[in-house]
Amino acid sequence: MRKNARRAVVALFVLASMAVLAACGGGGGSSSSSSSSSAAASTTPAKNGGTITLVEGTAPDSLDPQFGYTTQAAEPDWLAYTGLVTYAHQNGTAGTALIPGLATALPTVSSDGKTYTATLRKGLVFSDGKPVKASDFAYTVQRALRIPWGGSGQFIAGNIVGAKAFADKKASKISGITTDDATGKITIHLTAPYGAFLNVLAFPSLGVVPTGSPYKNEPNNPPPGVGPYKITNIVANQSYKLVQNPQWSKMSIPGIPAGHVNITAKISSNVDSNALSVVNNTNDVYDWADTIPGSLLPQINSQAKDRYAKKVMNSTYYVFMNTKEKPFSSQLARQAVVTGIDQNAMSRLSSGSLIPGCYFLPPGLVGHPTAPCPYGDPAKGGDLAKAKQLVQQSGMAGQPVTVWAQERAPRQQWMTYYASFLNQIGFKAKIKNIADASYFPTIGNLKGHPQTGFADWNQDFPNPIDFYLLVQGSAILPTNNENFGEVNDPKINSESTKLGQVPTPKLNTIASQWQALDQYVAKKAYIGVFGYQTFPALLSNRMSTNYVFHSVYGWDWSSFSLK
Amino acid sequence: MAAFAIRRILSAIAVMVVISILTFLLFEAIPNGDPALRLAGRLATADQIHQIRVKYGFDQPIYVQYGRTMKNIFTGQAYSYTQGFNVLTEIKQGLPATLSLALGAGIFWLLASIVVGTLAAIKAGKYTDRVLTVLSMIGVSFPPFFLGAVLIYFLGYKANIFPLGGYVKFTTNPWQWFVHLLLPWFTLSVLFIGFYSRVLRSTILDTIGEDYVRTAKAKGLSERQVLLRHILRNSLVPIIALWGLDLAQVIGGGAILTESVYSLHGVGQLAADSIGRLDIIPILVIVLFTAFVVVFLAALIDIVYAYLDPRIRLA
Amino acid sequence: MATSSASGTEFSADIDVGLLAEGEQLPPGIGPTQLAWRRLRRNRVALFFGGVFLLIVLLCLLAPVYAKHVAHQGPSAENITGKIDGKDIVSVTGIPTGPTWHSRYLLGADANGRDVAVRLLYGGRNSLEVGAVATVITIVLGLIIGLLAGYFRGITDGVLTRILDVIWAFPAVLLGVSLGVALAVGGIGPLKGNTLMVPAVVVGVVYIPYVGKPVRGQVLGIREREFIDAARQQGLGHVRIMFSEVLPNLWSTLVVFIPLILANAILLEAGLSYLGAGVQPPNPSWGTMISDGIRTIPAAFHNVLVPGIMLVLTVMSINIFGDGLRDALDPRSKVRIAR
Repeated sequence: MRKNARRAVVALFVLASMAVLAACGGGGGSSSSSSSSSAAASTTPAKNGGTITLVEGTAPDSLDPQFGYTTQAAEPDWLAYTGLVTYAHQNGTAGTALIPGLATALPTVSSDGKTYTATLRKGLVFSDGKPVKASDFAYTVQRALRIPWGGSGQFIAGNIVGAKAFADKKASKISGITTDDATGKITIHLTAPYGAFLNVLAFPSLGVVPTGSPYKNEPNNPPPGVGPYKITNIVANQSYKLVQNPQWSKMSIPGIPAGHVNITAKISSNVDSNALSVVNNTNDVYDWADTIPGSLLPQINSQAKDRYAKKVMNSTYYVFMNTKEKPFSSQLARQAVVTGIDQNAMSRLSSGSLIPGCYFLPPGLVGHPTAPCPYGDPAKGGDLAKAKQLVQQSGMAGQPVTVWAQERAPRQQWMTYYASFLNQIGFKAKIKNIADASYFPTIGNLKGHPQTGFADWNQDFPNPIDFYLLVQGSAILPTNNENFGEVNDPKINSESTKLGQVPTPKLNTIASQWQALDQYVAKKAYIGVFGYQTFPALLSNRMSTNYVFHSVYGWDWSSFSLK
Repeated sequence: MAAFAIRRILSAIAVMVVISILTFLLFEAIPNGDPALRLAGRLATADQIHQIRVKYGFDQPIYVQYGRTMKNIFTGQAYSYTQGFNVLTEIKQGLPATLSLALGAGIFWLLASIVVGTLAAIKAGKYTDRVLTVLSMIGVSFPPFFLGAVLIYFLGYKANIFPLGGYVKFTTNPWQWFVHLLLPWFTLSVLFIGFYSRVLRSTILDTIGEDYVRTAKAKGLSERQVLLRHILRNSLVPIIALWGLDLAQVIGGGAILTESVYSLHGVGQLAADSIGRLDIIPILVIVLFTAFVVVFLAALIDIVYAYLDPRIRLA
Repeated sequence: MATSSASGTEFSADIDVGLLAEGEQLPPGIGPTQLAWRRLRRNRVALFFGGVFLLIVLLCLLAPVYAKHVAHQGPSAENITGKIDGKDIVSVTGIPTGPTWHSRYLLGADANGRDVAVRLLYGGRNSLEVGAVATVITIVLGLIIGLLAGYFRGITDGVLTRILDVIWAFPAVLLGVSLGVALAVGGIGPLKGNTLMVPAVVVGVVYIPYVGKPVRGQVLGIREREFIDAARQQGLGHVRIMFSEVLPNLWSTLVVFIPLILANAILLEAGLSYLGAGVQPPNPSWGTMISDGIRTIPAAFHNVLVPGIMLVLTVMSINIFGDGLRDALDPRSKVRIAR
């Protein structure tokens, strides 16, 4: 009796584990093998057809255009969800040019800068075959407000008449947008002139979706859009596909090329093995937003030199220094940091990926000053002796400083260097590590009185006002503050507001004024810039190197083709 | 008997409820953990934060939030805050990798420890036993992330025999599935082999002294027959019970270190990533899932043992 | 990882102290303690590794001496753009130099240009400190809970056993990481964030059931014995009985648990630090060093190998010594081995 029962225990476990196996073994799913697409109409001589694989270390926050805000989301969304306005598919600064998307021409701006008018192209259809109506645009804006998309408060609710009331559910529609489905006419009223509004219209989050798409983030099954590609086969945090939109050939929008290949995006957090797999040609494209580990660079230089390049995008890495808290309330103390910090050391902490600089506006942006840096050439490494002297002069020597660090490589490593540097020049620094996900809300909470720490800014759009939003006095908020240094300088406030009203297409006419303002910010040492990030462009040997690297979105997937 | 079983199951449910409340409170207590601030993004305005707080119900009392979250989990409507994915779907997508890891490693470590443990017991006190003891001790001292890094470095980067990580579906390519899992299986097993073989060794040594073994020997059965038929069979019971519990933990995401060093994208890595994102919903679901498997298996074992041995019921 | 070895403590430390207390045929004039000590002394392997562990502890305690007089730099001193022996300490692409076998950067540099040997010793201090504090927490709380539950039985037992069940059913690493992330920065109440106490408390709590449950089981047995009845009839209070009558009988169980818990605590701390929820940088621990080192694989593998070997050696020494201790205290298994 006893023995039999014991056997039953054993059998139970075996059975239980087999049942689990049977129940879940089938969940493996079947991934269809690559099917070469029918050649889409294309004006470029690149070869059409085939499927390529892109590997990325971080999953998109959501492929739903009205929710996704990370670069990993914007890359595919840009091609699957065209807005009224979009960017030229060109390399370098040519890519910052705004071109009409679903609108027949760039929207016209009234003389007071507050009314934008556009007309929808005829014959547009979503990827599911349904026609696009002018009212779909109004609905898209509503959806971006209600989901809500991360930038909607700042860029939509803050600019369009009635958008805030709609977001707060005090109105059933946005009073500032009128549409006429019969003529395709769209009129948008702004509360105040805003020079970068055309850039706002070009956000993938204003990529038009059908009226009636639910007011809820749909990461597994994003709504249909209009674009050369559509997104399918989404497996959360693992993979998704970008296939050519069968409807696209019916519409031809000048300046938006049809793609050449279908793309499978695979997410794998091990960026080392991602990079190696592209070097070894088992995968085709490495996500530019991932860093290539320095230890692989020798191998890349020997095996893949012709298909690897370093690209610059508009992003600035800096340490914020709180001008309202000791010791950085003293300009001399801030100067000490800018003078002494060794940007070469910082660069080595990120596999040599930083370009040295001292200006808040990055080199690829209109308004980046050409004058030499006010406190020494950053490419030469810091001047420690001078920095020590400045700390003494400022009277802040021995002041305790808490350095806030984000728990993500190499940001944490940058901050451990920074803290040890602050100790070297005469402060008493210690580090406070914050979990990656809650870092910015934490230092954005004024009650925490953050003194100094890591900060960065990647452009939302190529207009200096996107950066200067972070140093305007009006941007100091009690929570989710982005003006971490609490900079409130009347000159910056008035100048940047004035320059920010100039429409993006006319930026070149005010370049020198932006330069002067940016030099002023560097002179006051408000922003402890420690470099501009370069990004890796690495392909397999199957791929044509005749690609477009876009200055806003990185890889232009519609330019990919096989050799 | 039925009363005992019901009592045991009720207490298992109580444990589950307490675990869910504790997990919920834990993430509520995170400093600067206000999920609305994280969700709103870097350029969020005060209005937008408020809007999110209302939309997700973060403004409601904590017990209301708890009740709603639990209801969502049990109706399959649990969505991650930061990414919007249905958590159950995500777990289902991670399960093939985790199950492949758990079952493959489980079978390997069980068989290997039976061989090692039996050998050590037969040779108890001799040289072989001492060597096996030291080897077991080395095994239980190896953290999987270190062993994984060492194996990846020597066999992946240097010798180029194995991939550097990742999971390939069995249905995609059975051979690649096998190759990608070999190192993870080994890494996870080393710990368990060291430990199980020690347990088995001492259980066998205990069993050898029992009456029925002496009887069997007296009946003239050979050493080998006694060992296989009587000693080993009875000594395996506690090992298999232990194996069931450990396997349950691994399936429930307990192999978090092995999964993350080999980027297997299983349930364990989902848990680790969600913790990194401070995304309470997936963490809660995975914790409950693991606890469920562990608590109910333990209850089941208790009930089965109570059925075998009535004295336990009185305790 | 920790789950298995932890649940194992229930089995492996399942010694029948009663047998030992009653004694088999103790040589005249020799108590159980002396007997155990005699047995342990004969186990040369265990003693050797006990010695190795003491040596590691000693070396780690001497970390400041090494830093000051040999390496001439502290554990947080960074020298990213400096040179050693004419070579970059950290290359332009971020690869740290390997072992120099000189007094400075003896075991090479890490990605921040810090001396790995110095950090290894300081990291060892932190790992050992976290392990030791966690062990004390586990043993003390496990003992108290087990003692109360086993002695009072009834409702007290029901509540305390459920508490143990809750901690036990919580996936250990997940519980550790969740607690670690939750507490790492802000801390709760007296538990300040960014200190060694956070991982120590987290690790300590995780292992409580593995001590609490066996202790409870043993107390349940002990309280039925005659000498407890006798004490009760003499009118001794509960507290008095627990301390002077029950506790002495638990002594050898606890002694066996100490190395087991210590070894597992050091491993769990390393795992938590690897996942970013343990010791907070720039404070080193072996786990954080391995975690940092993995970033520079394959070019600078010494950054993983050096702290990893040290970690395995330490945990292994504790385990082998602990195993010898268990054999020495458990006469039954000793009899069998002498078969």
